[in-house]
Amino acid sequence: MRKIKLILILLICCSLITGCAETKILERISLVTLIGYDNGDEDKVTATTVVRQINPEFESRVETQTETEATSKGTRIKVDMKTAKKLAAGQLRVVLYGEELAKQGIEESIQTLLSNSEISTSVYLAVVRGESKTLIEQNYEGISDIGQHLYNLIDHNIEQQQLISSTLHEIGRDNQSKVRNFALPILKKEGQFIGITGTAFFNKGKMVGELPSSDISYLVLICDSFKSGTLELSLDSESISPTVETKGDTLNLAVDSIKSKSIIKVTDAKKNEFDLNILLKCRLLETSNKIDISDPKVNKTIEKAMNEKIESEISRIIKYTKEIESDIFGFGEEYRSQVRGANLTEEKWMEMYKKMKLNINVDVEIIRNGVYE
Amino acid sequence: MKSLLQISNDQKFNAPLLFFVVVTSQIAVGIQGFQRLIVKDATHDAWISILLSFLFSHFIVYVMFKTLEIYSTNDLFGIQLDLFGKYLGHLINFSYVIYVSFAFFVVLKNYTEIITTWVFPNLSQVFISGTLLILVIYSFTGGLRVIIGVCFISVVSTIWMLLLLLFPLEYAHYNHLLPVLSNDLVSILKGAYSMTFTIVGFEVVNILYPFVKDKNKAQKYVHFGLFFTCFVYVFVMIVTIVYFSNEQLEKTIWALLTLFSIIKLPFIERIEIIVICFWLIIILPNLCLFSWSAYRGIVRIKNIKGTTFIWIFTILIFFVSLPVQSRHDINRINNIFSKIAFYVVFIYPLFLYIMASTKKILKKWVKSS
Amino acid sequence: MFGMKKIRKINKSNDSSAKTEAKHIKIPSSKVEFIEKLKEITHSPADLMIKEISDTITIIYVDFLIDVNTLNEQILPTLEKTDCATPRIIKESLLVAEVDLGSELNKCVLEMLIGAVLIHVEGNSELVIAKISAYQTRSLTTPENESQVIGSQIGFNESLATNISLIRRYITNPNLSNEKYVIGKETNTSLSVLYIKGIASEEYVNTVRQRIIDLDVSDILDSAILTELIDDNSLTIFPQMLLTERPDRFCDGLLSGKVGIVVNGSSMAILCPYTFFEFFQSREDQNLRWPIATFLRLLRFSAILISIFFTPIYVATLTFHYEVIPQPLLVPLSESRAIVPFPPIIEALFLELIIELLREAGARLPTKVGQTIGIVGGIVLGTAAVQAGITSNILIIIIALCALSAFTTPNYVMGNVIRILRFPIIFLAGFWGFYGIMFAFCLLIIHLLRQSSLGAPYLQPFYPPRWKDMADSVIRLPLPFINRQPILTSRKVNDKASNNNSSNEEKMKQS
Repeated sequence: MRKIKLILILLICCSLITGCAETKILERISLVTLIGYDNGDEDKVTATTVVRQINPEFESRVETQTETEATSKGTRIKVDMKTAKKLAAGQLRVVLYGEELAKQGIEESIQTLLSNSEISTSVYLAVVRGESKTLIEQNYEGISDIGQHLYNLIDHNIEQQQLISSTLHEIGRDNQSKVRNFALPILKKEGQFIGITGTAFFNKGKMVGELPSSDISYLVLICDSFKSGTLELSLDSESISPTVETKGDTLNLAVDSIKSKSIIKVTDAKKNEFDLNILLKCRLLETSNKIDISDPKVNKTIEKAMNEKIESEISRIIKYTKEIESDIFGFGEEYRSQVRGANLTEEKWMEMYKKMKLNINVDVEIIRNGVYE
Repeated sequence: MKSLLQISNDQKFNAPLLFFVVVTSQIAVGIQGFQRLIVKDATHDAWISILLSFLFSHFIVYVMFKTLEIYSTNDLFGIQLDLFGKYLGHLINFSYVIYVSFAFFVVLKNYTEIITTWVFPNLSQVFISGTLLILVIYSFTGGLRVIIGVCFISVVSTIWMLLLLLFPLEYAHYNHLLPVLSNDLVSILKGAYSMTFTIVGFEVVNILYPFVKDKNKAQKYVHFGLFFTCFVYVFVMIVTIVYFSNEQLEKTIWALLTLFSIIKLPFIERIEIIVICFWLIIILPNLCLFSWSAYRGIVRIKNIKGTTFIWIFTILIFFVSLPVQSRHDINRINNIFSKIAFYVVFIYPLFLYIMASTKKILKKWVKSS
Repeated sequence: MFGMKKIRKINKSNDSSAKTEAKHIKIPSSKVEFIEKLKEITHSPADLMIKEISDTITIIYVDFLIDVNTLNEQILPTLEKTDCATPRIIKESLLVAEVDLGSELNKCVLEMLIGAVLIHVEGNSELVIAKISAYQTRSLTTPENESQVIGSQIGFNESLATNISLIRRYITNPNLSNEKYVIGKETNTSLSVLYIKGIASEEYVNTVRQRIIDLDVSDILDSAILTELIDDNSLTIFPQMLLTERPDRFCDGLLSGKVGIVVNGSSMAILCPYTFFEFFQSREDQNLRWPIATFLRLLRFSAILISIFFTPIYVATLTFHYEVIPQPLLVPLSESRAIVPFPPIIEALFLELIIELLREAGARLPTKVGQTIGIVGGIVLGTAAVQAGITSNILIIIIALCALSAFTTPNYVMGNVIRILRFPIIFLAGFWGFYGIMFAFCLLIIHLLRQSSLGAPYLQPFYPPRWKDMADSVIRLPLPFINRQPILTSRKVNDKASNNNSSNEEKMKQS
């Protein structure tokens, strides 16, 4: 009897409330895979969305919609009015910001993205040279879905350590942190292709500077452990002569990192002095000149020259970031964690960062070269 | 002593199962958002706060068992009746029942809130509480054996989630944990105090004690259980601290779910949606244990059948839960609950122990003189 | 002690009930009267044979039920030789194994209907009952529903005597107890309760006895009906007793302390108590090397999960949780769904229904035609459905996987359960997504926790956890690690221990 009663009540419950959950059937929604934000008129923001539509003809069509409105939700409503199917942002992969907007600040936008439970925190953010709208709306040959294409582009470059990881989570974390700033990759339309041309540096959510893509390897070297990236160096012939002879002024090298470790140490908290030790074990892939690497002497010289070269490059980059007041490497974080009672505030740290003294110490070790000597 | 319990062997369960009971009772909705509360005071030393709070819980469990051992086979309600006399005892028993029902209500409401914010924004809260209560009724009417079984299966079937937490470590900044102990003791203790909401639940042992088969082993397994949950909480906390920045964490309401949201597996993404739905089986034993404790208390006051009780109980809870809808309300309720729970779980047992032991000494003294 | 008392009580009540039911009819001593009376009771059927051997001696039997050879060669010559007229002398002089004296007409008639010759002697109110029953049985064949590659290839048939002899061949042991019962008011079906004394727990034997005696039914035509009648909970979808047609499996059960029931006329024997996990074990697991057996068992258990939850997960994902689909899967999934006009729940139910229909059609048709139907129907219907745009081809794969997984369950009854369970869960998934699935999952678990088999928890050894018995449950460890008498069936020992405990406690209290 008890069981019958239970089943009855279950049925009543079910029938009473059936259909209350809102369905989002996969092929009946428009999946937003990419959003680009640009500066609109006055205070408004222009949003360009890439929407994947699924047609009965066994192929998916990609639509782009552009709307200008004061809030991002406002633009969403407007786009919704233009698409045949309900918009759903759960499959959003990449968010782009136009250069102009990035310079004005993207802090609020990041906040909005973070608080939306529909959007994953693994979304990639990037800055577009010029307007994101023009980049998205262009028809590219061989790119059927620009949303997916950009996602793959950024994803595989991050995996190969040719980019600093820029997921929404990391950006949100560094943006809110008092002692850290963040950087985003810069995308640029290059004819029929889209390329990564550099890194944009931010401070308080505003883009304050940039470095070209050739410097990205050094950035990764400082920030992360560099495991799979390739580093291209051109050594001055003076630094390696007379042990190694070169044809021109420079010796160009490409090394493939196997393992790297970067350690930031506060050596003197009062004097604001830091040590940056980088250990890089690598494989020599390519040289512009024929050199006899099996000779330990040559090996030593090249390693030494590489050390100097990397050190100078890094100090150049850090000097630049000091100028633009953007600490993306987490020196502040290290200071906070290594110095007791640091009590850093955002302003205080910026002052300190500008005056920071940094001893860079790079130790390159060439472990092997190819299969042929 | 008229308050002695007669429990047949069939109703009893083996002491090792207490481990699972303690683990499930401590891990419920609290773990999804406890990080922010503790980090607010203790910042990156939050894990020390957790250790401290668990240390204190171990002590409380020790005291609890000392009290229970004085009475050999009796539960909290019987002890209260014996200590405070008939009228005051019943009053205190009833307020304990109210406390337990409140705990039930808090778990129910918080879970409903999570479901509606993350998975089904439009699903009516009536439906969610309705389905949960059906599950509670069904397991309750199966008796204690089924309830303990639900606890056991809940732990066994959800342990894999801990492994998932290794994925976010890809984005970890381990220096977030340093410098260790940079906060003063007061803020760390404050953090430990904030753990109350999350850590409570093990007080059901007070009521389950007479139903344990080999009582001399019971305490050991309760301590084991506490130890395990302590490990879980510290692990979750450390992962959270290294994953989030301090400032970000203070704004993240359900840090655990946000942690899950970055995980990508080849066949599945956005694991937090699955985890939230899976959480149903984590909160179910809590609801069952709380409703069962309430029943044990009510039975002392008025002897009613379990089936009748659970129907009345769930229907009452159902109607009480209807008006509470907004995040604001739920936050306020959580705050009130954690304040009450602190006194009920952490202060009251000490008081009870002092009472019980003085009574014992007095009795001996009266006898001998 | 307690058990013994119970049995005695049961016997008493049994006797009294028998008395009230069948009126005690004395056997008339005169021949004519006796024959009349007999005809009255049996309504003089066409196959009732009455032969008057001499003036005093009459024999009565039912044609085709007895062994005619024995009658002709043993009984008739003896009867002709002996003129002396007491049944007792006849009984002693007959060279037949089973001979009895009966003084109650009703009982004698029952014996006759089983296959005995009744010998009436003028002037005596006792009958000689010579049991020489013989009837046609199917020859022993391989068990068709529980086939296995390695192991014995013999199955039970419909004869109780043959089945018991088969079992005795496996277990040559004086402790193998055989208790005979006759139930069913109309059919008088005989059944045997078998167990090994000293291994089987008295508690379970008593429970089985009690339940069989308490039965008040008109007929039992098959052991499957009996299981439903004596189950702990006959409302649940899950079987709580095993029906097996393999004598080796049956004996394996007896040896591990279970109680067996063999019913006359049924080729399936019952084993109880049986737990949920044992239904997914095959006898063959014991015959294979342990790593292989463990792998197969794990495969089977994952197959259950796949079979129950895979289609619902598909439905839930496509209806509500599009976020969880990883990017590489998104395009193929959505494109295959693009031309389907129905929501996923209808699509899935439709395909599941087709599979069920195919299976049912295959089961009802003769074996060879059935197989063809299965293959042709599956391929043709599936392809056509995809081409017509009624279902997506990814769903076809999923449904096929689910169906395949369901058929790995070694037990037919449990296999049915696993297949049917999917349907309500698909509904829940279609309405409330993962939440619905989890709701069903919890409901299922609570339901399983509530079940018991002869009072033993249904989910043993998983819950309550019995670590020692785990060696032969979801996995199978090498034989030396396996406890032949699991805690499940040797509960007596357990109870003793706990009783000691509680008595200790009492002592402590007193002191």
